[in-house]
Amino acid sequence: MNGSTGILRPTRIKLDAGNDSLAITWSDGHSSVYAYSTLRSQCPCATCLGTEGERAAPAAPASLPMFKTALRPVRVEVVGRYALQIFWNDGHSTGIYTFTYLRNLCPCAECAPA
Amino acid sequence: MSERLHPQDVMKALASVKAAGEMKDIVSLGWVKDVEVEEGAVTVTLALPNSSDPASAVVADSVRREVARLNAGEVRVRLVARHGASSGASSNLIPQVKNTVAVASGKGGVGKSTVAVNLAVALRRAGARVGLMDTDVYGPSVPALIGSRSAPTVVDGKLEPSVEHGIKLISIAYFLPQDEAVIWRGPMLHKTIRQFLEDVRWGELDYLVMDLPPGTGDIQLSLSQTIPLTGAVIVSTPQDVALGVASKAIAMFQKLGVPILGVVENMSGYVCPHCGAREDIFGHGGARAAAARMHFPFLGEIPLAIDIRKQSDRGQPVAEDESTPYGKAFRDVAVELTKQVELARRSASQEIAIE
Repeated sequence: MNGSTGILRPTRIKLDAGNDSLAITWSDGHSSVYAYSTLRSQCPCATCLGTEGERAAPAAPASLPMFKTALRPVRVEVVGRYALQIFWNDGHSTGIYTFTYLRNLCPCAECAPA
Repeated sequence: MSERLHPQDVMKALASVKAAGEMKDIVSLGWVKDVEVEEGAVTVTLALPNSSDPASAVVADSVRREVARLNAGEVRVRLVARHGASSGASSNLIPQVKNTVAVASGKGGVGKSTVAVNLAVALRRAGARVGLMDTDVYGPSVPALIGSRSAPTVVDGKLEPSVEHGIKLISIAYFLPQDEAVIWRGPMLHKTIRQFLEDVRWGELDYLVMDLPPGTGDIQLSLSQTIPLTGAVIVSTPQDVALGVASKAIAMFQKLGVPILGVVENMSGYVCPHCGAREDIFGHGGARAAAARMHFPFLGEIPLAIDIRKQSDRGQPVAEDESTPYGKAFRDVAVELTKQVELARRSASQEIAIE
């Protein structure tokens, strides 16, 4: 056999797939739809994870509701052969989402833990 | 014309346009960013991998011609820089390089650089256009092994690699005074790797062989992140301790989605030049057995021979002479490698389409 690694890869990635979400079609045919809010809250970068091992708490709500544009990716890039890097509209881009991590994040009924 | 043209019809027409050097049409490649149909005019926005490339003008012309056939009035073509660049087996950083092969090991001192240099020579002898990138910034030995006398030059803001034995060559050794050490943290290493890929005029290459430092550190990670490597060759001695560490390198590449092209057993058996008796100093067949156990291709054995050491020290790669047992061994490994590269390319040919 050849030494290909057989990890699941996306074959198609669609930004703005409706309702502020990103859609991925996988090499096994499965499709996943991720809400932008989920993707951002699950950002795997060291800053978001918190170097002390805890996910950084979201900023406290302001006393007056301020207008904030919704967070969404500006673009995504493939990292080597194993991951996606998401560039957000607030400038955040350090999260490297491995394909395996993304697949485990799939929120569909089939993938969700029972 | 009473009926207004539908953008879908324009897309259909664009699906017949192919770019030079690409197998697929520009629609499948995702280069058509937008189609706007107005009264008496069609605007097509193209996002090309390299919009300053003269080839993009050719694509734009073909687009104009195809859309003009629809008789929808004026045809405008807009070229924009490409975002969310997709990458399959070819990377935007080095689009003219067909295959990138990393030569790696877990343990140091197993002969990675010697194997990398001689593989590059053997591939060139087989008729391929070959580049050799020494990414070992801590102990760059490739220029010495290949007998490099000339340093790279800067032409038009890009590095022109030096050429030795018909192989384009770049190494950190060229940029350091002798006996000077590189003491860098990750970000500097990452920058150097990027520069070696981006700022070097590699030109058209069939193979870019990369000699890696031992281990599973910053360089390996940077390289695997910066370009989609075609695959990795793992070098090991037959010894258990070397094989144990080699399997760690294999595990790293698997995590990073880099295919393992195969395992090379170096220093495999020593034949006494005086009496002809064979002595398996580091053992024999260990790497072959390990490759079989882990279901990786075994690329071949390189014997332990005093001449490999002597010629390497003189900067004369033994692979230049196929009449010797070791020269032949390197040729056999190179032949096996080209087969595995072809297989890896085929199995990883699907690109990731980003929309």
